[in-house]
Amino acid sequence: MRNTRKMLLGGVATLVLAAGPAAAQDKEPIIIGGAMSLTGVQAPLDTPALRGAEVAVKYLNDNGGVLGRQVELRNIDGKSDPVTVGNAAVELIDGGADIIMAPCDFDFGGPASREAQSAGLVGISTCASDPLYSSWSLGDKQFTLSMWNTTMGATAAEFALKENDWKTAYVVTDQFIAYTKSLSKYFNEAFTAGGGEILLEDTYTNGDNNFTAQLARLQALGTKPDVIFLSSYGQDIGSIIRALREVGYDAPVLGGDAYDDPAMHEALGERFGNDIYFVTHTWMGPEAHPKMPEFIDLYTQMHGAPPDTSFVSTGWDTVMMMAQAIEAAGSTDGAAVATALEEGEFDLLTGKLDYADAAGGHMPMKAAALIKLEGGQPSFVGWRTPENVPAP
Amino acid sequence: MGFGLQFVIDVLSLGGAYALMALGLVIVYGILKLVNFAYGELIMVAGYTMFLLGGSALPWLVMAAVAVAMSMLAGVLTDYVAFRPVRAKSVTAVLITSFAFSTLLQNLALLFISPRPRPVALPEIFSETVTIAGVVTPVRNLITLAASVLLLGLFALLMRKTVLGIAMRAAATHFIMARMLGVPANLIITSAFAISGFLAGVVGLLWIGRIGTVTPGIGLEPLLIAFIATVIGGMRSMSGAVLGGFLFALIDTTLNYTLSQDLLKFRDAFTFTLVILILLWRPEGLIKGPATGQRT
Repeated sequence: MRNTRKMLLGGVATLVLAAGPAAAQDKEPIIIGGAMSLTGVQAPLDTPALRGAEVAVKYLNDNGGVLGRQVELRNIDGKSDPVTVGNAAVELIDGGADIIMAPCDFDFGGPASREAQSAGLVGISTCASDPLYSSWSLGDKQFTLSMWNTTMGATAAEFALKENDWKTAYVVTDQFIAYTKSLSKYFNEAFTAGGGEILLEDTYTNGDNNFTAQLARLQALGTKPDVIFLSSYGQDIGSIIRALREVGYDAPVLGGDAYDDPAMHEALGERFGNDIYFVTHTWMGPEAHPKMPEFIDLYTQMHGAPPDTSFVSTGWDTVMMMAQAIEAAGSTDGAAVATALEEGEFDLLTGKLDYADAAGGHMPMKAAALIKLEGGQPSFVGWRTPENVPAP
Repeated sequence: MGFGLQFVIDVLSLGGAYALMALGLVIVYGILKLVNFAYGELIMVAGYTMFLLGGSALPWLVMAAVAVAMSMLAGVLTDYVAFRPVRAKSVTAVLITSFAFSTLLQNLALLFISPRPRPVALPEIFSETVTIAGVVTPVRNLITLAASVLLLGLFALLMRKTVLGIAMRAAATHFIMARMLGVPANLIITSAFAISGFLAGVVGLLWIGRIGTVTPGIGLEPLLIAFIATVIGGMRSMSGAVLGGFLFALIDTTLNYTLSQDLLKFRDAFTFTLVILILLWRPEGLIKGPATGQRT
């Protein structure tokens, strides 16, 4: 119901806009179909991305559209359910979508990409980072905007070993989804390949909010690790860091983009939010990209409040990259756009991006943003590109 | 020695929280013979109240009291919105209305606040630790344990010594008979929802005290825990719910401590296998409760 209304509103807005520039008026709009989840466990990542994408669509239309055509974004709530996401994609494709924006994470975005592939369309996930999100498993027209976990894990490992000389690690893996599991796996590979030693690996179940057994095992180890790599998801990251710090484990904590959550930073606060580093998509300031302040302004104008997470950038980037590829291809034909994405190089808010060809899995060669948390306040350390990325 | 003591404290503090969650669920079930699936959202309401009050200068205890009051209010509202209009009609209808109410509350939070987590103010003491016989333990765990012992005691007293408690027990045993003897049905049911909300509010504070943030889906885990604990303990017995809560915590913690890394990935499979075994052995749960199970 809510989405129908939103779509109707979107339709009206497009009509109003289309009446403006004469050039774009006669041509059909380019339709971006989104199956982003506005409800359920995926909503914290997908909703910001969709909001960022809305800003990008407005920006494109205000500046003459793409190929002289207006751009229209239609989203059907994927409800954080793989089957619903797939059905939403089918409905969007039947409704004339030219390109598909797929949800974050392989588990939820995969179904949308599979439908796009079988309809011969390009599908791009806004932030799926598991290497399963590749042309190998999804097809030759499927991409993800995010770096893979191979890059994310390797960046963390090289930061620990080369920049800080942290040689021993304690690794905790949440068994929640493909993302949490593969992130630890690639950190471990890169860390041991670089000469580090994993003192202890432990397993955690998402939602437990109880880390005592793991702590007992860590304490039984006798020695303290130089660094703690914690691959978890959602609120559990905060509660685990809290549990570790409370009993005196003050070693630096490393993690992935799931840490990019201002509420967690605030909840950890001055007392527990120290010496935490994470590898993520971008930093919401001019240090990350000169165009970032402009995006934040546009976002604030459109949504009435500044972004509350950096994940909004992934939506903006996805739409802008789609537009750039369609311009380069000269059409919305799936194969032509896929080729344009493979051949192009993109300078995005979330880092420079260059895809491998379909035989190379569409591996995203991308820089990673490194963020530091001190006193509950995040700060940008810089862009990092790991030297040795483990094979997926 | 240290290891054993750590284990005992873990089981007791986790079990205390689980027992309170289960008790809040079973108090409504005992009378109506209906599971309130919007129970988890009462915890969410407490959490978001804390978030919304977070900017104010109120002392933490006042915020906590308001949060518990809001959660009680939400409990009573559940009765009025989801249960009372369809209570007499069919079980299926109430099942669906309680699910609907749960979805409604979650989506209100999603729409009007955010799908992303929001921070909740915690008092200093929730972050302190104490050392007991060489074991470093967060004070929070001891508070959880103390709060559960205190509340379980108060609750037992309420049910045995007060008119309201006796009337509620009577209604739980045989609702129609209790009504015939002059027990006001609506008042009893509303009270049950209010107490359920009170327990959810307190548990919410303790549960969110472990996490530090609140999201629209925060109630799912506690609802699941409460449901499993009451099923093990016996759906119709309040002491069963408490026993079930502690037993569930014991199972979980034991598995967490003893399973090897390769097996720990499948911990939930082991937990639920044990739950199934318990149910095969005692299909009614560990404690049977009153003999009649007739729904009103």
